[in-house]
Amino acid sequence: MARFLLRRLITSVVVLAGLAVVTFLMTQVLPGDPARAAAGRNATAEQVAQVRARLGLDQPLWDQFLGYLGRLAHGDLGTSVFTQRPVLDDVAAMLPASVELVLAAMVINVVVAVPLGAFAAYRRGRAADTAARIVALLGMAVPVFWLGLMLQLVLAAQLRVFPLTGQLSFGHQVPRITGMTTLDGLLAGDWAALADALAHLALPAVTLAAAFVAVVARTVRSSMITTLDSDYIALARATGAGEFRVVVRHGLRNALVPASTILGMQLGWMLGSTVLVESIFGRTGIGAYAVTAVLQNDLYAVIGTVLVIGVVFVVMNVIVDLVQLWLNPRLRHTGRRRATPVAA
Amino acid sequence: MTETLLAVRDLRIAFPGRTGPVEVVHGIDLDLARGEKVALVGESGSGKSVTARAVLRLDPDARLSGRIDLAGVDVLALPARRLREIRGARAGLVFQDPLASLNPVMTIGWQIIQPLVIRGVPKRIARRRAIDLLTRLGVRDAAHRFDDYPHQFSGGMRQRVVIAIAVIAEPALLIADEPTTALDVRVQARVLELLRELAAERDMAVLLITHDLGIVAGFADRAVVMRHGRTVESGPVEEIYARPRHEYTRALLAAVPRIGGDPSRPLAVIGEGETC
Amino acid sequence: MSRARPIERAALVVAVLVAALAVLGPLLAPHDPYAVNLAQSLQGPSAEHWFGTDVNGRDVLSRLLYGARETLPATLVVIAAATLIGTLIGTLAALGGKVLDEVLMRITDIGLSLPSIILALGLAAALGPGLRSAVIALALTWWPGYARLVRTLVREVKDAEYVDAARTLGVSRLRLVFAHILPNALGALYVQTTLDVSAVMLVISGLSFVGVGAQVPSAEWGAMIAAAANNLTNGWWAVVFPGLAIMLTALAYNLVGDWLRVRNDPTLREGAR
Repeated sequence: MARFLLRRLITSVVVLAGLAVVTFLMTQVLPGDPARAAAGRNATAEQVAQVRARLGLDQPLWDQFLGYLGRLAHGDLGTSVFTQRPVLDDVAAMLPASVELVLAAMVINVVVAVPLGAFAAYRRGRAADTAARIVALLGMAVPVFWLGLMLQLVLAAQLRVFPLTGQLSFGHQVPRITGMTTLDGLLAGDWAALADALAHLALPAVTLAAAFVAVVARTVRSSMITTLDSDYIALARATGAGEFRVVVRHGLRNALVPASTILGMQLGWMLGSTVLVESIFGRTGIGAYAVTAVLQNDLYAVIGTVLVIGVVFVVMNVIVDLVQLWLNPRLRHTGRRRATPVAA
Repeated sequence: MTETLLAVRDLRIAFPGRTGPVEVVHGIDLDLARGEKVALVGESGSGKSVTARAVLRLDPDARLSGRIDLAGVDVLALPARRLREIRGARAGLVFQDPLASLNPVMTIGWQIIQPLVIRGVPKRIARRRAIDLLTRLGVRDAAHRFDDYPHQFSGGMRQRVVIAIAVIAEPALLIADEPTTALDVRVQARVLELLRELAAERDMAVLLITHDLGIVAGFADRAVVMRHGRTVESGPVEEIYARPRHEYTRALLAAVPRIGGDPSRPLAVIGEGETC
Repeated sequence: MSRARPIERAALVVAVLVAALAVLGPLLAPHDPYAVNLAQSLQGPSAEHWFGTDVNGRDVLSRLLYGARETLPATLVVIAAATLIGTLIGTLAALGGKVLDEVLMRITDIGLSLPSIILALGLAAALGPGLRSAVIALALTWWPGYARLVRTLVREVKDAEYVDAARTLGVSRLRLVFAHILPNALGALYVQTTLDVSAVMLVISGLSFVGVGAQVPSAEWGAMIAAAANNLTNGWWAVVFPGLAIMLTALAYNLVGDWLRVRNDPTLREGAR
């Protein structure tokens, strides 16, 4: 177990180092003068020179990189030209709303995809399986941003079932505790605000989840097929377990081991995809922030977002490893009490 | 004659094939009395395993005809719910490969108590019975190993766990499908001994499915020899050993390695060639 | 089993048709895709404008036909470039010895473990907005998957008997790689590239949608949706049809890719229906 965790930790460190290099290179390919970009459009020549010296842009590339690493270590991601605030503060303010969205999408993803995949496997080759496959193929083909617009058009604009944009209706207010509107509403005990926040969260979360459901359902289906064909499932049936119990209690956990890897990576990808979803629904999250930053030529804000999403992604992967340890006991005991190989 | 536990009459089993159903068992008769130990012998492909699985209707694709009476219940006529009730409670099943028979991501304890839990036995009581049973089956320190996972056990210990799953709901019949094939020789003998002891203690009948006539001698009262989905010979084990009537049985017997036998003698070729 | 079923044949037809429309677009388009005519702003679908007009009075169908000439080639360039980089790195890793393999695969891991849309967004921002930047950025983030795949394929092939035979015949190293190893290893690659067409297309149109890719007045499909999104309620057709075009094309390529995958891998045929 220790070896497994150590290996994963080393991988994480390597990825983080790579992330630092990549973002550093992004600052280097910047067309024009990075010092001027960092100082902002209206900076005087003197200010630009100051920034140049502070960022060490007059030094060799290697020293610049070390300086960059040093600043990262201190949480200095530069200053946003657009908001005139430290990028880290901006991102910290925006991140909770995105995390809220991603978590909601992940809940939808799991709740839809796992039963869908398991059921398709159970009814393999029948109509339900085909239907699940079509849903999956459509989910993989639909452009996320377009789906968001369509849901807005039909469910918000036409049928008025859900609010069009934003995180909270005018008139509601929640204290900022976690920065996640729903959770803050819950913590404040303001049920009306909570309901309103959930209504605002619904469409973006469904939109974000749609593309990911397909992949998870497919993974669960194929691993569930292998599981259902195994002897231990036959044995469970032979002891009188009902079909639902056989599939859910005896089978599902096995089928979830491969899916959990994918789900973990998807958390990171979902955070990336907020870029396509948040602006449509007028949510002030890190994705919308990144888009604005790109359009405003606010390079440090963009790179800061890339860095933070990258770091979150790496952290997520470590968490996934821990979940895997829980789901798959074989990983837990490597080295301890080796089972003797079965003869023949 | 003692009370009949299992009566199989003219059992035919067919599986869907590319050009229509393919019959693999062509009318088998089989009887087991309470507490009796019967061996169903044949090479792979003879239909012995599907026959065993048919007793609990475990192959959903199989088309079964004929009659199977298990403790007075007409198995082939049971609705799904009643079928589940008799599975595990009237007859338990042990498969060949103990590693494949155990769920790798669940503790062995969880797996053993399932047959009781689904019948409404409280977990605490089920746990105590499972630990007692494991101890009886020779698993040392059973209480501590209750929450271990299958990969932490050796092959022989795993098969004891599988046996525990099969018998914990106290079935009157245990169907053991090649229970020792995947084990090494010393463990094989011990597992068979355990099955024999268990059968005696509980007055439990055992239907042993095997290709190996060598292990039948010390274990079963009667043997039924199957080939190509038909019974070729049946009777008390001693009689079959002493006076095999069918050429196929003689070939099977000749294949049993014997102490003192000539190891250089080639195995007898069984007539008509392979079936699978 | 490997014969295409009707739905897969239909998908193949759609995939080819979209490509043909992209080539023939200018001949087929009923209107000038860029001609602004405010008098015709936001007209619904009609006999004159099958898919309606956008806020600038431009014919949506014509723009779609021209847009295929931006979205599809951009997608193909990304895939071609990523395949090239991936093949180079994967082959080097497979044949270049342990140290090189380790270094290249760690770099590949980094690329694989970060969300490509975010990397592409950052890169495209650094390069300046535009379809060209989006294509470059995406090619630079998409290759690691191919590198991993090619490395596996080449390692499988390099120890095969016919490669050994060629080696003993004194064939030069370079020739060995290009004439014997790569052609055999890359057979399986086209399945992955076909499956990736839809994914790349979705990201490209996504980048254009948020404004990093194709810029106004481009008829790139994602950019068309972005431009029409402000008039979603009073001009839905200008949003709906480009989206359907993306979805249909992506679906077609997915189905074709899936079919190729099953056809190529006998183990998947059973139960893969």
